[in-house]
Amino acid sequence: MRPGGRRYRTVIAVLAALLLASVLIAIAAGSVQISPGTTVRLVAWKLGLAERPDVPVSTEVILFQLRLPRVVLAVVVGLALAIAGTLFQGLFRNPLADPAIVGVSSGAALGAIAVIIAGGGGLLGGLGVSLAAFVGGMVTAFFVYRIARVGPAVNVATLLLAGIAVAAVISAVMSVVMSFAGEEIRSIYFWLLGGLSARGWTAVEVVGPLILLGTAGAVLLIRDLNLVSLGEERAAQLGVDVDRFKWQAVALGALLAGAAVSVSGVIGFVGLMTPHVMRLIVGSDHRRLLPAVLLAGPTFLVLADLVSRVAIAPQELPLGAVTALVGGPFFLFLLRRERRRASARA
Amino acid sequence: MRTTRSTLGTALLCLLLLAAACGQDEPAASTRGATASSGAGATGTTGVAEFPVTVTDDDGFEVTIPEEPQRIVTFAPSMTEIVFALGLGDRLVGVSGSFDDFPAQAQEIEQVGGAGEFGVDPNLENVLALEPDLFLTIAGGDPWKEQLRDLDITVVTFNATDFDDLLDDIGRVGVVTGAAEGAEVLVAEMVAQADEIAAAVPARTTCFFEVYFAHSLTTVGPNTFIYDLLERAGCDPVTADAASDYPEWSVDELVADAPAVYLVTAESANSLEQIARRPGFAGIEAVANGNVVFLDSDLVTRPGPRVVQGLAMISAALFTTGD
Repeated sequence: MRPGGRRYRTVIAVLAALLLASVLIAIAAGSVQISPGTTVRLVAWKLGLAERPDVPVSTEVILFQLRLPRVVLAVVVGLALAIAGTLFQGLFRNPLADPAIVGVSSGAALGAIAVIIAGGGGLLGGLGVSLAAFVGGMVTAFFVYRIARVGPAVNVATLLLAGIAVAAVISAVMSVVMSFAGEEIRSIYFWLLGGLSARGWTAVEVVGPLILLGTAGAVLLIRDLNLVSLGEERAAQLGVDVDRFKWQAVALGALLAGAAVSVSGVIGFVGLMTPHVMRLIVGSDHRRLLPAVLLAGPTFLVLADLVSRVAIAPQELPLGAVTALVGGPFFLFLLRRERRRASARA
Repeated sequence: MRTTRSTLGTALLCLLLLAAACGQDEPAASTRGATASSGAGATGTTGVAEFPVTVTDDDGFEVTIPEEPQRIVTFAPSMTEIVFALGLGDRLVGVSGSFDDFPAQAQEIEQVGGAGEFGVDPNLENVLALEPDLFLTIAGGDPWKEQLRDLDITVVTFNATDFDDLLDDIGRVGVVTGAAEGAEVLVAEMVAQADEIAAAVPARTTCFFEVYFAHSLTTVGPNTFIYDLLERAGCDPVTADAASDYPEWSVDELVADAPAVYLVTAESANSLEQIARRPGFAGIEAVANGNVVFLDSDLVTRPGPRVVQGLAMISAALFTTGD
């Protein structure tokens, strides 16, 4: 399937349609239903294109201050996690890599928790916590990277193992830190469970640009990602500065994952599953893979968040639990099917 | 304890009728809910609360209620009970959850709780959809309170720390809901009942209150609402020197403290055998003597109108068991 091939174009069109549909459904559904027609008319009114439709003020407030920012946040966080997962998987040439496994998510969560315990929860209007999450993610990424780096070469297996070990240490540190926490325990659990409830437009404004920047950076790395997947030596022979590439990929992955965790807490499976499933559909050429992931990641998280909101409304399910419940079994099913195919071929 | 509910309901109904009957008179009782100021002289002389009313709530926010609230959401079972006791049940459009179970009509009202990471926050969309003009709640939940304020919801927090504070809070709920007179009558009734119970205490005794037991034993410290009730009912808890509000208490210490009566919520344990079976508990004098009392926790943990029933229940239990 070539990048411009007909089947590929169909796949992309379907993915785009799915994203659009899931966004529309997510905006409409909730403990209060808002019909797509009402949404369109309200948005048109906001843009000054039409008269204000005759709907209660509460509908307007729910749409613009709760529903829309939440769906948009799900889109950007889903995008960030899926792209970060693609980068890590490409870099490590290992489908098991994702922000959580490399330790970036735990590092980010630890950064956030440290600030909350230190009493800085309200710093910079709450942005202090997000900033700390981001820094925690970056520091962990580079720490893990340094451990795995022997001389000029980076051993991928060591990197993965180091990531898992660091994540385990961090989760132990968090357990210790949490036993000192009093009232803050609730906001701490948030970082561990993950969720998008009531973050408002501020969260979108803070991490949106960072995530778009990170995504653009990932697009620039497509060629190197493809060459490195042939093997590091091969890539070096073909003119890739492999060490520089690794550095860039780790930094970008940490940027994306850190930004996502800083507003949503730790949400698993999006970064692991999305690139993997897309690879099964469009192949592992990053020129084809990245656009597909770019559409599928947001779709996955928007739908998962929708489930978390409406499944037992007015109560909410933890988003991290939904992604794991939906993603886990599906992922296992795919793995099994792949193995069967592989053994049938052999 | 479920069976006592209907009698309590009847008692409350009588109380309400009484409140309604006295509504026209100038109440002679203490006007404890007077920390609020309102527009033109709402000192009770006219008998009609005048809006706008401005109060400083227990979160330290100065809140102005422009008109008499017609659509109230309560986010705490105790608040629900207070609003009903003030005769404003028909203005309640939302309550927190299934635990808002008293009076029975409260269960018919839409529930807005259960959102957030722990399922204890209000669902903001549901709250907004109800278009409330007053959101009454207790302490805690600062993040979602902030969000509600940002969405232009009038949030008022009253948090009762002891019995006197509860009386004060009921008065203030009366002021912000335009039911100041009814609140004064209710408060006077509660004071009278509490005084009657206090007067009937034959001699003070010592006690211990178990909040729950799960490998370790949790009790109440001296700054809690329940502790105050225990003292008023006539017993001195052995946990007077506890450093925190809900401290863990070692069984060894409890054996040494030797409280005369062991009080426990019916949710935590429901039989003497169950408690005596726990390792070391048989060594506690009160448990050995069978002076264990099971309490309906709703009556002692909810700072609402029914705490006087809770007081009566504790007092009756303290002075009829054992010896």
